[in-house]
Amino acid sequence: MAEESEPHRAQVVAMLATYGERRPEEVPETVDSLELAWLVHQIEQRYGKPFDVDDDVLARMTTVGGACAVLAELGYEAAA
Amino acid sequence: MAAGIQIPTDPGWVDEVLLAGPAGQVCLVLAEHDAVDRAGLRALVAERQAALAAAGLAGGGSVALCLPPSLAFIANLLAAWRLGARAVLLDHRLTAFEVDQALERLAPQLVVSAAHASGGALRAFQDVREQITAHPGGRPADTPHALIQLSSGSTGPSKAIGRCASDLIAEIDRYLKIDGVPRGGERIVSMASMVHVLGLVGGLLYGLHAGVQLVLPERMTAEAILAAVAAGPEPTTLLGVPFHIELLAAVADPPPLPQLTGMTTGGELVRAQVHDAFVDRYGIRLGNMYGMTELGVIGTDLFGLHRPAVAPAPGMTLREQDGELHIAMEHSPYVGLVDPARWSDGWLHTKDAGSVDPDTGLVRIRGRRDSQVSIGGLKVDLSEVEHTLAGLPGVDGAVVVFGKAVEAYVVLAAGAGLDRIQELLCERVAAYKRPRAWHVVDKLPRTATGKLVRDQGVLATVPSNERI
Repeated sequence: MAEESEPHRAQVVAMLATYGERRPEEVPETVDSLELAWLVHQIEQRYGKPFDVDDDVLARMTTVGGACAVLAELGYEAAA
Repeated sequence: MAAGIQIPTDPGWVDEVLLAGPAGQVCLVLAEHDAVDRAGLRALVAERQAALAAAGLAGGGSVALCLPPSLAFIANLLAAWRLGARAVLLDHRLTAFEVDQALERLAPQLVVSAAHASGGALRAFQDVREQITAHPGGRPADTPHALIQLSSGSTGPSKAIGRCASDLIAEIDRYLKIDGVPRGGERIVSMASMVHVLGLVGGLLYGLHAGVQLVLPERMTAEAILAAVAAGPEPTTLLGVPFHIELLAAVADPPPLPQLTGMTTGGELVRAQVHDAFVDRYGIRLGNMYGMTELGVIGTDLFGLHRPAVAPAPGMTLREQDGELHIAMEHSPYVGLVDPARWSDGWLHTKDAGSVDPDTGLVRIRGRRDSQVSIGGLKVDLSEVEHTLAGLPGVDGAVVVFGKAVEAYVVLAAGAGLDRIQELLCERVAAYKRPRAWHVVDKLPRTATGKLVRDQGVLATVPSNERI
């Protein structure tokens, strides 16, 4: 299983922070269901392709760390 | 009640008000390829009615439904009502501890829960195989209510809210009279939970009555919501909470959706720039609705003409009393323990700060006067979370506040660890109510008279030993 990387973390936090006009440090580690829907949309917009994954993959994205690991695993490159 | 629907007084109301209609008319679409017509729904309800009756449920009986949004939820609810029983709705996200508390308090005879559910993250509905179990100590209904819903919490007075069949019918009737509500032959794509009043009455029950097809998106993602709209040619209204406006407004380049006529949300207003971005992107009306579990829809602004105010729904009488909105309501809606500060002398005290314009009658809502907050449309009572947290072994003191998320400031007893405290809270409090940020502090700030300070500006200055 791929490990999360710092660039992925920064990117996931930045995408979550756009919901509710938060600062990155205001983004909690846990990702609730609204934030997950938001994150999926941000990933789709950023990478320009549908983020069509199974339920068990989404279920692993309920923390920032889990979301980073999933992105790394699926080959989504973190922005430099 | 005003003219419109004649109120039946027996379980026949389910057939007359909700299930009647052409057999082949599709009333529910819970997946793109899984449409349920009225004949199919009637058969399913009859089947569940037989199962509930076989388990001992009868007219005047009581049953709790602890099911995720699903065809099973709809069928069991209508079946219970068709038997003349009282249905208690328990959000499937509650913890086992919270469910037990509610069952102990409301004492239903039967509990319908999911033996198996297909669910996954972001699923708008699930395939459920239900199970019926007898609840030890359960009693028949002791009130005339058809529906019991829990407000923002499950403990304390005025938390269990009862509604009679006639109340539900009166609310459906209000929807019929409000301009901008979808009409027969149209569709509602709903993101609002059908376990709560907006999705339940404004989506499911009104839709069944008026012949409006209720469509749930495959997933609660922007793409799936727009795909659900695109799947049918009929005029379509989106029903959701403010989060969904924000989500859809963030879609940079939505597909053309000529059938999309409007979106209605319940709850707090979105920021003006989000509102404007949404209207600009979709070119449709964005309406707002004010409602409460106790009464359902109370005021609306479905065309965005009165923003930030709403116009009282037909038949609703509102007044301002010492800065709080009160609504005329003949009987108290509360079951069991009643807090007189919530209902008295024919008036429901909303706990919403607000005002009524003496000239236009328009209503402004200016936030809560108690510790209730709304998170994605779900009501959370911060004081309940705080009391639960403060009562845990290892906690010497706690304050729970809401800024951009629920946050806890906690004083730990000597030797106690935050991990264990969080674990214990997880057992007692549903995920959506739990603190998302934690601050372990040596001491909580208090006023000169010893009261805990909840001002977030002050709390933010307290040095934290640990911050998560």
